[in-house]
Amino acid sequence: MRHDEAWTRLPDLLDDRDDAELLAHVRACADCQRQLFLLGRVDRLLRHTAGTSARRARIRLRPRLAAAAAAVGVAAAVLVTVLVLQHGRGQPMMFRTASGRAVGHAVMGHSDARNVSLALVGEHLPTTRGHMLVLWAGDRVHTPMLVGQFMVDRRGRCRVHFNLPANHEWSRFWISPPGNAAQVVAST
Amino acid sequence: MSTNPEEMSAARRCADASDVELLHAIAAGSQPAFEELRARYRKAVAGVCRAVAGRDHEDCEQEVFARVWRKAALFDPARGSAAAWLLTLTRRTALNVRAGSRAPLPIGAEVEEREGDSVAAPADVDAFWLDGALVRLSERERAVIELTYYGDLTESEIARRLHVPLGSVKSWKRRGLNRLATLLGEDSR
Repeated sequence: MRHDEAWTRLPDLLDDRDDAELLAHVRACADCQRQLFLLGRVDRLLRHTAGTSARRARIRLRPRLAAAAAAVGVAAAVLVTVLVLQHGRGQPMMFRTASGRAVGHAVMGHSDARNVSLALVGEHLPTTRGHMLVLWAGDRVHTPMLVGQFMVDRRGRCRVHFNLPANHEWSRFWISPPGNAAQVVAST
Repeated sequence: MSTNPEEMSAARRCADASDVELLHAIAAGSQPAFEELRARYRKAVAGVCRAVAGRDHEDCEQEVFARVWRKAALFDPARGSAAAWLLTLTRRTALNVRAGSRAPLPIGAEVEEREGDSVAAPADVDAFWLDGALVRLSERERAVIELTYYGDLTESEIARRLHVPLGSVKSWKRRGLNRLATLLGEDSR
């Protein structure tokens, strides 16, 4: 795959991470890795700000759509409660390496009607080149979602916060190096 | 709209400039740079003024951009992003307007600015920056991104609503997101 073609298609990785050819290019291309990191930030920013009423009002939802959105909002709020309960009323989920060593923990909580928050604290995460790692989330239905990229210090420590859409039943989280989703360094 | 070739060329240059470059140009007295920055951040500034200054928001907006024109030389990129500087200046101005008996203070009468005063939270700066960045997309890129994220529509639904092929929606969404990411990279430097 040519670089300019990969660059154009990078936003697809925010929705669909099964493009092996594209991922192979990203794995070997520092420019694309940086752009993917920035795309992740833009995606999170857009999702986060989507919750504010002023921005949503811009779209001028039609009444039928607004009613559907309200119904989804109620369903999402219920789901958030269920999710938080499922994850032990805010009890930490431990991230462990394949050998079982605890390297961090995360707590899910309520963010807004459309999102759940995930606070991740890393203690001894394996460090990679550039100290960048990627957090993934999965449920039983959809393809895994790239939650975001984050940086750890030399000792593998980090303290980051992400928002995830509430309309998924997130059941598993894992961490990989950038551009290599299959190389799990720690998981819940 | 200007038909003067020099002015049109300057406007095109400004459209491609980063926020930091615009503030430096404004400090040097560039009117096209000022117009470009105002076009980018008018909505974002209006939102803050409406929230803080209430019914005096229109006076507040005018005062904010008057201060941008006067104070652009004080912007120091080493101390933070252009969006953070603009948001802080907007908040201070709005607080002054609100405190000033519901009327804008005359030039030179604003509250003295202190280090750390009205420092904006990173999340607020990000949202403020996003408002300015969305303005820099083409109309169709912006429409597709807003319908995706704020309208909760799928690409197929957007194509039906805009009466365009699905491929166009995918292409505009990719271009818009890539452009926003590039702008974020430039403005974060």
